[in-house]
Formats: sequence, C-alpha cells, structure tokens
Amino acid sequence: MQLLQQWSETNGFLIWLRESPSIWAYPTVFFLHTIGLIFTAGASIIINTRLLGAMPQIPVAPLARFFRPIWIAFWVTAISGAIMVAADLQTKLENRLFPLKMIFVVLAVVITALLRRRIEQSSLSGSTRALAAASLVCWLGAVAAGKFMAYF
Amino acid sequence: MRSWWIVPLWKTLHYIAIAALVGIVGLVDLRIFGVAKGLPLRPLQRLMPWATPAFAVAAVSGYALLQINPANALGPPVNVAFAAKIAFLVFIGLNDILYFATGLKRQVDGVGAGESASASAKIVAGVSLALWAGVVFWSRMLTFLAGAI
Repeated sequence: MQLLQQWSETNGFLIWLRESPSIWAYPTVFFLHTIGLIFTAGASIIINTRLLGAMPQIPVAPLARFFRPIWIAFWVTAISGAIMVAADLQTKLENRLFPLKMIFVVLAVVITALLRRRIEQSSLSGSTRALAAASLVCWLGAVAAGKFMAYF
Repeated sequence: MRSWWIVPLWKTLHYIAIAALVGIVGLVDLRIFGVAKGLPLRPLQRLMPWATPAFAVAAVSGYALLQINPANALGPPVNVAFAAKIAFLVFIGLNDILYFATGLKRQVDGVGAGESASASAKIVAGVSLALWAGVVFWSRMLTFLAGAI
C-alpha cells in the first residue's frame, strides 16, 4: 500500500495529470470516464428495460450484438477510472462510498455477462427479468455512489 | 439552508436522464451504422419518443443545478464550455429536424432485419453521435472552464 502511494506520488504521468492546468490532462481523462459510463449505463438501461417487457416490438436476440460497443465503453470507463484513482490514491481509497460504488459496478458487470446468453436465446424468463431489474438497480447505484462520493 | 444531499441528488438524476437519452440515441445510431444488423429499424426507432421525457428530466435537473452553481452558466463572465454545450444542443436539434423533415426517418423505418441504411442516414447518425459526445465533453469541462474568459 505504501509502495503504491509512493508510486502514485512519483510517477511522472500521474504528477502531470494532477498538476497540469491543461484541459487535456485530468479533465480529459475525466471526460473519457464520463462518456464511457454514460454509454455503458445508458445502453444497459435501454436493453434491460426491453428485457423487463417494454417495447415488445423490438426483437431481443439481435440486441446481443450491442455487447461489443458496450464492453469497449466499459473498458474506457474502467481504465480512465483506474488512472484517476491512481492519481488521487488517498482521497479515493479513504472515501467511504468508493467501495460501495465498486460493489455496484462489479455486480453490474457480472449481471451483464450473465444476461448475454439469455439475450442471444431471447429467453425472457422470470430469472432474466430479475437480473435485468438488478442490473438497473446496480447502474443507478453506481452512478449515485459516484455523485455522492464528492460529498463524503 | 440547503441540505447537503440536494446537489448530488440532482446530479444523479441529471446523469441518469442523460444516460437513458444517450442510450436511446446510441443504440439507434449504431444500428444505422450497421451494428446489430439483425434488428429491424422501425421497432428500434420507436424508442425515439422516449428521448423527449429523458431530455426534459435532464433539462429540468440541469436548470436546477445551474441555479445552485451559476458559475457553470452563461455568465457573466461567460463560461465557454456552457456556451459550447448549448450550441451543440442546438446543432443536435437542427440535425434531428433535418432527419425528420427530409423524410430520412421514414426511409430508415423501412430498413429491415439484415439490411443496411443509406449513406445519408449514416451521415446524420454519425453527426448525431459526434454532437452528443461533444455535449458530454463540454459538460465535463464546465467546472474546469468556469471563469476561463
């Protein structure tokens, strides 16, 4: 942990990220995190709403093809998020809401992975709907925890 | 005295509304580009009316947040990021008007499962995606560019 702290304090890239007044430093990494999360959460919200029974005209199976852009957006979010945590290690790790946010994100990712096959097979069983509802709650929780973090 | 949780609550609402909005726009635009070609576009475009209430929630919560933090608004002094964000939203509106007025939306409704959308539809979808990414970019820059000019 101490080693990690030391690395965060001496790493040239992370120092630049923290201290540069340029909007292409920290603000841009923050932007990548935001746009990645908005697409990941937004596309998931729409697909989960369909799985819950809304818009029955939309065929379910082809929606699985949207998983590729969703995962790309997720990795953009995760990597930019990790960079911001590394740049601001102490504040982030000491925040009481940070672990909660991470739990929501991990759960959302696991649920999304579980949903993929069900979507490919158009299986709208009770358990699919339960997973879709849980995924909606997790994304909402992750966003709320992220927003409330700044106030804790 | 305002409770501490009011601001993050408005922000959460603002964020979720934009996520739903960008989710709808993103899925429709990506399909027009050729992702998930198995989806016929007519039922997918039925999602579009839901973008209106999502935009309304985003606009109301955004307005509330500006009342709380006026430095993020048009000013004076002008916040370049906010001016750019509003300009991009206007461009999005014009792009949408173009999409409907030229009959392109109806043409895209006819794109069935496995079929490709026309080049002009792809251009409008690309412009829409780029402008929405721009709106998110300028939103993120709001606090960093407050009072920059």
